[in-house]
Amino acid sequence: MSRAHADGPKAPHAFFQHHYNTVEQQAGAAKLGMWVFLATEILMFSGLFLAYFVVRMFYPEMVLSSHELLSKTMGGINTVVLLTSSFTMAMAVRAAQVGNTPAIVRNLILTIVCALVFMVVKYIEYSGKFANGILPGKYFDYARAAEYAQAHGHELVGLPHIFFGLYFCMTGLHGVHVLVGIGVLLWILVRAKRGHFGPQYFTPVENVGLYWHIVDLVWIFLFPLLYLVK
Amino acid sequence: MTTKTFLNGKPIDDVIEVHEHVSPMSTYIKVLGALFVLTGLTYAVSFADLGSAGLPVAMVVAFAKAALVCMFFMHLRYDDRYHVFVFLSTLIFVAIFFTFTIFDLQSRDRLNEEQGTFFRVEQGADWDEAQRGNKRVVDAKAKADRKAAAEGKASDAAAPADAKAADGSAPADAKAPDGKAAP
Repeated sequence: MSRAHADGPKAPHAFFQHHYNTVEQQAGAAKLGMWVFLATEILMFSGLFLAYFVVRMFYPEMVLSSHELLSKTMGGINTVVLLTSSFTMAMAVRAAQVGNTPAIVRNLILTIVCALVFMVVKYIEYSGKFANGILPGKYFDYARAAEYAQAHGHELVGLPHIFFGLYFCMTGLHGVHVLVGIGVLLWILVRAKRGHFGPQYFTPVENVGLYWHIVDLVWIFLFPLLYLVK
Repeated sequence: MTTKTFLNGKPIDDVIEVHEHVSPMSTYIKVLGALFVLTGLTYAVSFADLGSAGLPVAMVVAFAKAALVCMFFMHLRYDDRYHVFVFLSTLIFVAIFFTFTIFDLQSRDRLNEEQGTFFRVEQGADWDEAQRGNKRVVDAKAKADRKAAAEGKASDAAAPADAKAADGSAPADAKAPDGKAAP
């Protein structure tokens, strides 16, 4: 299954830290640390997901009527964009594994472009909501939101601001993760351009990739729950 | 290479910390294709009225997509089993978190009634009115609690009656039955 050590142990590279015995040990430590961090990320988002399920359990009509105001098309476009960015990120890691620096740079740029497209779509969605009184928490304007819903042939039932509070929290926290992702992607893009990565050393590319895939994973669950629920 | 790895003070041979696996391009392209197909599927299914089956179907598809991303994009299929363990252990804790919270919320209706806890706004209720009602209940209870604390080991039975006297317009929820222990 694994071809590890097929070519014998790796020679130390420029980023080999003296307190590790081998290059593989250094890479393994970094990767385990990353997985533990990803575990905490999942636990953090699980709280918001639970809040969603509780609200859904107690106020099903309210959730179903409010979600009609979210655009399935916008959410769908964002899903496709994020899945594509996950693919280009995986390609960037593969390019690093085989030592193809131009391909790393190309795929990282594609990933960043996808992330920016995602944020632009999110901006269009948010500003459309804000313009119609659908704001987070106490700024929610019920009268304007109801008017907006009626103009689109829907009716608001119950307490829509609770649903939209959750919507803004969940997509907002996810959006913050996308922004942080753009930051770390830029960081490894600069390092890739300097030729830091190759088959000997690609831990940062791999770990940023893992982070980016988790951002994608969260969206995979947010999209059906918030946009597609029935 | 002459570097040696030590575990518990003893040198060990052929230690493997990282399993590297370079997947072929075709794998990634197939996975991306499958992810797009599944996304199209949930999108299409959301327009069909499945009733109560809608959520389970959406969740099954989401888990399938998540599994594809984890196994192939995140290389968990080829990775150290310990990373799989770390990842799956979070799912166990999330499951415990969800199960116990939802069990608790579903089975405490009677308890809320006894304690007079403001808990849920009925469908179609006026939210502002509900919030005002909540504030009355909370204020009355806080006042009663303060009084009870001031009187030292005051009996709990006296507190609700006091609360009622303090605010005659408190909704029915606020009337905690006498003699119930409310710590």
